[in-house]
Amino acid sequence: MKRYLVKDLMVPISEYATVPQGSTLSEAVIALEKAQEEYNHTHYRHRAVLVLDNNKQVVGKLSQMEFLRALEPQDENIDRIKEIRKFGFSSKSIALQQEQYRRKMPVNSDMYTSAIKLKVEDFMQTPSEGEYVNENTSLETAVHQLITGRHLSLLVTQKKKIVGVLRMSDVFAAAFHVIKEVEATE
Amino acid sequence: MKELERLLDRIVQRVNINLREHEYDVNPLVQKLIPFSQMTKFYAFYGITPHHPLNLQFRNSNLAGSYFLGKCSVTNSLLYKSDIRGDELKQKADVFKYQGYEIPVDEDEEIEIVDSFLIKTLVHNFSHDPETLEKFFIRDTIAMHYANIHGSPAEGSFLGPFSTVDLTTIRDSRVGTFSYIQAGEVSHLDIEPGTVWVRAPETFNFMYRFPLQRLNNYIYFTAGSSPQGIFIDFVEDRKEAFQRVFNVVNLEPSVQVPNSASLDRFAVIKPKTHISDNVLISQRAYLQNAWLGKGANAQEQSYIINSRLEGNDITAHGAKIIEADLGKDVFVGFNCFLRGRPESRLTIGKESVIMPHTIIDIRQSLSIPAGHLVWGLITDEKDLESNSLSLKEFSKIDTRFSKGNMVFEGNGAEFVTAFKERIHHILETNGAFFNGHSNKGHAQQNQKISFNTIQPYPQGEKEGLYPTIIIRP
Repeated sequence: MKRYLVKDLMVPISEYATVPQGSTLSEAVIALEKAQEEYNHTHYRHRAVLVLDNNKQVVGKLSQMEFLRALEPQDENIDRIKEIRKFGFSSKSIALQQEQYRRKMPVNSDMYTSAIKLKVEDFMQTPSEGEYVNENTSLETAVHQLITGRHLSLLVTQKKKIVGVLRMSDVFAAAFHVIKEVEATE
Repeated sequence: MKELERLLDRIVQRVNINLREHEYDVNPLVQKLIPFSQMTKFYAFYGITPHHPLNLQFRNSNLAGSYFLGKCSVTNSLLYKSDIRGDELKQKADVFKYQGYEIPVDEDEEIEIVDSFLIKTLVHNFSHDPETLEKFFIRDTIAMHYANIHGSPAEGSFLGPFSTVDLTTIRDSRVGTFSYIQAGEVSHLDIEPGTVWVRAPETFNFMYRFPLQRLNNYIYFTAGSSPQGIFIDFVEDRKEAFQRVFNVVNLEPSVQVPNSASLDRFAVIKPKTHISDNVLISQRAYLQNAWLGKGANAQEQSYIINSRLEGNDITAHGAKIIEADLGKDVFVGFNCFLRGRPESRLTIGKESVIMPHTIIDIRQSLSIPAGHLVWGLITDEKDLESNSLSLKEFSKIDTRFSKGNMVFEGNGAEFVTAFKERIHHILETNGAFFNGHSNKGHAQQNQKISFNTIQPYPQGEKEGLYPTIIIRP
């Protein structure tokens, strides 16, 4: 049975979608599309874009969630409605009141055109301590790190340098492969 | 005077330390809000009746213009023109019922105010906290103009102008201007202005939040100045009328008062007011050309002007009714502001419930159908549609419901029942159901009341402080 290490499964950073700091959301979307076209090892698609500083160091990550968050119109009233959670209201009631509010609002047709001009650093997520994993870490440890941190991907390090991205989809595929291997040998 | 200043600093520090997690500094809000010269100007007074225990203790405090009834103690506090009304406190041997428990009351309940600053605040009812049955405490708390602390022990909290904490133990929290809280128990909450929140955990949860820009026209409070807006202008315009009732010792009522009704001698009554049987008019109420049918009441700081209340109507503490006609059994909650105009009156159908802290301010006639629940800010028919629902329809809610800025979760029928039961209880307590020999309430029991005055040191270091005073039978 093969013993996988993180470096066996990661996507090298050179094949990953990246944009420099200061890029717009539109540029990030194009970078994601381009990386996807060039990277066809598996049928799993890239789902995030890394943001690099001048020294090519990763300073942030834009996942699909951050893209969608950028598209959500900024509205103080929507944020105000969210606050009622502290008064004991359920998520369903919060959603109900938000829906009531949105129905009263006129449709904002240029929502997308204004959003794509926004800068990536306004929405990117800065990696936390638990999102880094060494390239020589075992698959099992990486799985544990993904689960406990509820991460969709981890940044793979070689000494202090980021050399790749370990995606949950690739880890799942490897784990699935191991299971099949074990089943075949029994 | 120096002692008074030291006292204010001490109170501010104690409140701030409790609110530190909200990074809230009350100092700029309260400094110079009430000039110390005002605090030495007014006498305090207390009531004596055969129906309420007399047990008052004042220590190291200023009590300017404040009123006390029942069993109250005040220590290291500043009370400016506040009403501490202990006529509904629990008495020894009462049994307090709570969630299936029946807890005997060991001694007469006491309102205990320590290290607090209350401005024009009403303290009334009794502690609804089963953990503190005999002490209705208010500690390390600041309450701004026209706040209501109703059956709500408070600790380490700041209550904004025209705010109400009702039947709720509140700790380490800030209640914004014109917010109403009835939630049983809250702690460490920062509640923004214009929040109306009624919650019975596991049963229902009601919330309405005012559009702040529109609310600011009515009441606005920020550091460095006194509260401003239509509410303040309204009460300031009528302030002079109260000076006479507080300056004159023996004041004969200017209207006929039936034997079963009670008109407090510190209320203002202007011509063409009519008082029917079982009516209760509390101190600091203001009535002008008001027709009050049998069993109606006007509680503290309420105003009824050019209006008719058919009977068994409740005008709760701080409520204002102007140019309006109310059918029977209408409930107008705390601090409501209902203003019609001479040519465009407001009509409220019988058995309707106007939620606490509702503003209705119209320039065209508006009619609220009978049996409706009304909340929020209403200036026309469109607002009424967004801010009301028949009690029958409300009772059908069994999961959640949202309309305009209101959201409700839980059981609508339980919510309506809770309100109806409370309304019945208020009428009963106030003596609306008195039949000539039984069902006596405040309207009958508050008729025979004497008032005594007490005054502070007139000069020196202790200027404005009242000496230690203990008043017992």
